[in-house]
Amino acid sequence: MKSLITFLAILLCMTSFGQVQNNFVKENFNKTDTLIGMRDGVKLYTVIYTPRTMTGKMAILLERTPYSAGPYGDTNYARRVGPNPTLSKEPYIFVYQDVRGRYMSEGTNLEVTPNLANKKTKKDVDESSDTYDTVDWLTKNLKNNNGRVGIYGISYPGFYATASLPGAHPAIKAVSPQAPVTDEFVGDDANHNGAFFLMDNFDFMNYFGKPRSGPIKDYGDQVFNADRKNAYDFFLKLGPISNSQSAQYFNHKSYIWDEYLQHDTYDSYWKARNIRPYLQNITIPTLVVGGWFDAEDLFGALNTYSSIEAHAKPNKNHLVMGPWTHGAWESSEWKQYASHDFGSNTSKYFQDSIEATFFDFYLRDKGTFTAAEATVFETGSNQWRSYNTWPPANVQAVTYYLGDKNMLASTQGASSGYDEYTSDPHKPVPYTNGIYASRNNDYMAEDQRFAAIRPDVLVYESLPLTADIRLAGKIIADLRVSMTGTDGDFIVKLIDVLPDDEPNFQNAPKGFQMAGYQRMVRAEVMRGKFRNSYEKPEPFIPGQVSTVKFNLNDVAHTFKKGHKIMIQVQSSWFPLVDLNPQKFMRIPEATERDFQTSTIRLYHGSNITLPVVN
Amino acid sequence: MQKVLVCYFCCFFSLSVIAQNADSTWFVNNYTKKEIYIPMRDGIKLFTSFYIPKDQTEKHPFLITRTPYSCAPYGTDKYVPLWYSYKMAYAHENYIFVLQDVRGRYMSEGVFEDVRPFNKNKKGKQIDEASDTYDALDWMVKNIPNNNGNAGVFGTSYPGFYSTEAALSGHPALKAVSPQAPVTDWFIGDDFHHKGVFFAMDGFSFYPTFGKPHPVPTKDYGEGFSSPIKDNYKFYLAAGALKNLDSMIGDSIKFWHEMNQHPNYDAWWQARNARVGLYNVKPAMLWVGGLFDAEDCYGAWNSFKATDKQSPQTNNKIVMGPWYHGQWSREGSYLGNVRFESNTSDYFQKNLEIPFFNYYLKGKGSVQDISKATIFFTGENKWRKLDHWPAANVKEEKLYISADNKLLLDESAGQVADPGKISAISFAEYISDPSKPVPYTEDVHDQRTREYMTDDQRFASRRPDVLTFEMGILKEDITVAGPVIANLLTSITTTDADFVIKLIDVFPDDFTYPAGSLNNAKDYPMGGYQMLVRGEIMRGKFRNSFEKPEPFTPGKPALVKFELPDIAHTFKKGHRMMIQVQSTWFPLADRNPQKFTDIYKANDSDFQKANIRIYTGVNGSFFTLPVIK
Repeated sequence: MKSLITFLAILLCMTSFGQVQNNFVKENFNKTDTLIGMRDGVKLYTVIYTPRTMTGKMAILLERTPYSAGPYGDTNYARRVGPNPTLSKEPYIFVYQDVRGRYMSEGTNLEVTPNLANKKTKKDVDESSDTYDTVDWLTKNLKNNNGRVGIYGISYPGFYATASLPGAHPAIKAVSPQAPVTDEFVGDDANHNGAFFLMDNFDFMNYFGKPRSGPIKDYGDQVFNADRKNAYDFFLKLGPISNSQSAQYFNHKSYIWDEYLQHDTYDSYWKARNIRPYLQNITIPTLVVGGWFDAEDLFGALNTYSSIEAHAKPNKNHLVMGPWTHGAWESSEWKQYASHDFGSNTSKYFQDSIEATFFDFYLRDKGTFTAAEATVFETGSNQWRSYNTWPPANVQAVTYYLGDKNMLASTQGASSGYDEYTSDPHKPVPYTNGIYASRNNDYMAEDQRFAAIRPDVLVYESLPLTADIRLAGKIIADLRVSMTGTDGDFIVKLIDVLPDDEPNFQNAPKGFQMAGYQRMVRAEVMRGKFRNSYEKPEPFIPGQVSTVKFNLNDVAHTFKKGHKIMIQVQSSWFPLVDLNPQKFMRIPEATERDFQTSTIRLYHGSNITLPVVN
Repeated sequence: MQKVLVCYFCCFFSLSVIAQNADSTWFVNNYTKKEIYIPMRDGIKLFTSFYIPKDQTEKHPFLITRTPYSCAPYGTDKYVPLWYSYKMAYAHENYIFVLQDVRGRYMSEGVFEDVRPFNKNKKGKQIDEASDTYDALDWMVKNIPNNNGNAGVFGTSYPGFYSTEAALSGHPALKAVSPQAPVTDWFIGDDFHHKGVFFAMDGFSFYPTFGKPHPVPTKDYGEGFSSPIKDNYKFYLAAGALKNLDSMIGDSIKFWHEMNQHPNYDAWWQARNARVGLYNVKPAMLWVGGLFDAEDCYGAWNSFKATDKQSPQTNNKIVMGPWYHGQWSREGSYLGNVRFESNTSDYFQKNLEIPFFNYYLKGKGSVQDISKATIFFTGENKWRKLDHWPAANVKEEKLYISADNKLLLDESAGQVADPGKISAISFAEYISDPSKPVPYTEDVHDQRTREYMTDDQRFASRRPDVLTFEMGILKEDITVAGPVIANLLTSITTTDADFVIKLIDVFPDDFTYPAGSLNNAKDYPMGGYQMLVRGEIMRGKFRNSFEKPEPFTPGKPALVKFELPDIAHTFKKGHRMMIQVQSTWFPLADRNPQKFTDIYKANDSDFQKANIRIYTGVNGSFFTLPVIK
């Protein structure tokens, strides 16, 4: 969702890539802007691109967005239309709509609009009903439409794509939620396991949280000027989150920011914003897409897929997971990321071989759609794999124990000892190495050596592997901890340690050392007080051993022979995640003096369970 | 020091692959090369290469470098690639270039001894490097045709040491000497030890090759130690206690093992302090060094100072620029991310070194413009010409740490750190864990970087085992000229610990360099940059004496006082001053087991965590800063 910058970058990419076809949309489409009335009378601003060369009846591809359906006006054309350049050359009517309360649409916007299962009157609206009413109008009013509508969107628009599914209009024949915002408390964007994603939230709400008084083409400046050079320093100096409401910053101008600070447990506010319970009996063909390096909505992609899958048999639900950052599947080329070289253009493959065939088949009866249940790019070995289920059926849960002498082993050692570190909220562990103004998008595959050498990061490493180990599926961290404070965060990182003779990749920066690189494969944070319940946080009793068990998002990764598996455990991840005062309390109410140093013990026998493919 | 070696190889290599230029053709056509074994007073012969101008219109002076790094290329048809260097200017002045392999190195005969002690009472056939210089110079003045009877010696790093020793030869033909980054005291401040702390990485990357035996003259010492681990932090941490490096380096590297047998500043080390010979120095001296020389910054400053003190009649001058080791012969506009806004090396070559030798060896030009001390002040990025060093108009200012960890420049708080007065004073504290030492630089490196001396210290500020004391924004410039003295009042939970002090210039948040100033072509965020101006380490057990180490009593306050090598830096208005304190600086400095012991003999199991307290407040720790008024 915090994808504005990524989107802009990708759009720029597309622009330069498509210079020769700069006027492609203008030359090949007629554009009409219109207002479509919803059942409660609110009108949503809708932009319709119809191919000039009519070739019989055409399907409709709809994206609903909070990020503007513009450019506005019949003579202002977008640079590109449709989910990808291949589809934009096929005979589709492309439709964009500002969602309720955003940009040129009327009405009131709600953060991740709660789904209303039992709508009683025409006043009971949600994104499902808005999509229904829109699709109904489009199929009845657009000339030459074939009565079939496909819906897609990435990130927040991915949420709107998902939200079209409950009680869907019968004309909706194919839906592709891509990196869909799904559960903002448990795993997407705003919070992971109840830990507040400070930097992303702060930056996003500064832009997205700006209020409007009515339909508007441009929200203008951000809520406040946040010109900064060094995010780590900035947020450390900002101090407790409550300081974000000072006159200099949010100052209660963003209602969503206010809501975020108000709702610091998995209460009815957040539960209403979890769409998963409403994904019952979804048999409309769905193509759920996500990226392994998506810092925003990796959770959403995996869990939207699994929710649809769990509650409808049979279904036509498919999953595609590629080696992508947030929305990178939309870019014209995606062969490399951070220190990864994937060896092929993974985004082009997705667009042409999966996404285009999905919509063409279900909306136009063109060709066949033969994608497997799950089409998954496996990092480490750099290959696409097809599975009949996700996670694959032949996966065995193998437990690795964190033991004495920093060893990671699949057999539990005899040691009942512990390792200890001091977590100081005034010197938090950085989530990335170096000085960055905003989030370093490479952090999800970054070399973790900068962290391994800190005294407040515990490191456990296996012996060099004697054979490849292939992982596919979910990771479970199961920690036994004690602390001197009454709350603490736990970050668990799964790392692929490259051999000491690993050569540098082509055109590696000067001084870069791939040898011994500690490449992050997956990481997750758990706010300790939510270890037993997201609804009812519980303090730790100082000195008493507690279990902290949580899931890490799925992976598809091969640890190659000769590599080592490493686990790092730490209690801050800054400024990605806000600082835990290490004192049980409502963190949005914490003041400077609540933040305390905590000595944390991690007991041997704590473990991590990996999904090993047989 | 090893960098020079590497560079020499680079030059040699590039010679064979890069097409020659106009200067190379000129040099080869106008100079004759001769290779001669010159006999010393004890009969040992030293291999010497002469590049002699064909010009006969006047008599020419000698410009000599004595080196342990080889006077290659060997063979009278192979020429040293002078045309890649500013030294080509000397060729156009028709100097006779002399390169000599020192005793026991490469093609010379005899037995090599590292930093061979100066013998001020030589008798008969007794030799040292000064006598070898005397004998060589005497031979060439008498035997090389068409010389004008004047000789100069210069050299950088180890050849800087041989330049210092040459100055002690007392030969009447020797008129001018420029020791540059001279190796001077390998226990107190150069290369392999700083304040008794072993610079294991520099030592271990140098000695496996340099320290090989030399049973007979050779052109090639062969390969050294090659680590399979390209991350030096990991390699040295995995190696563990120093004794484990001993087994990797093997028995044949004599000097390595000698160093290990002398853990304290005993008579053996004191004899290897080049300053002991700096009395009655005859030739004109021009000491040259780099403010950011990771190897021999100490040697340049302190050899100059020792000469001033011990040989006051000597024509003794110093040039210090903003340079890494030897940078004054290369591009001098920047180091790492820090820019100097002019080519300081070019300035040195054209206005200082060349006029110096031309005047004393050829009687050409003048040295009136060469001041006692020509010092580049970073921060303000200006050369200053001074009549004294340290500067005459300096006031000792004291920096204190407030109870809330702010750095204060407070003239009125003139109290002295006193272990007896610590009741009711505040402290800052950290845990120093030798198994997770503080890195000396960011990122992963195979070799020790030279840029670390100006690196951004923000990576260190973020660590819980680094104390950071920062001053408010400066309302006016503060120019510091001379040595900073740390007075740390500390207590530790064990019996020994190291103390690293880093003086840092914190740039304003909106800082940028002027457009167009030459730089390293990296787009580094300079706003809020924490520039290391000077860092130094002290091994706590030597706090009262380098000869006689003393343990700490756990929990009992002790004063650790030491001097950091001189600085010349202006903290500009709008900047802030910062001091960081930490107890490891890895793998630059070896790890202290934090237990009072002979560290060269320590076992892996001796290494332990220590809680380190640094007392603050007006009765606590302070730093003395020589500020120009």
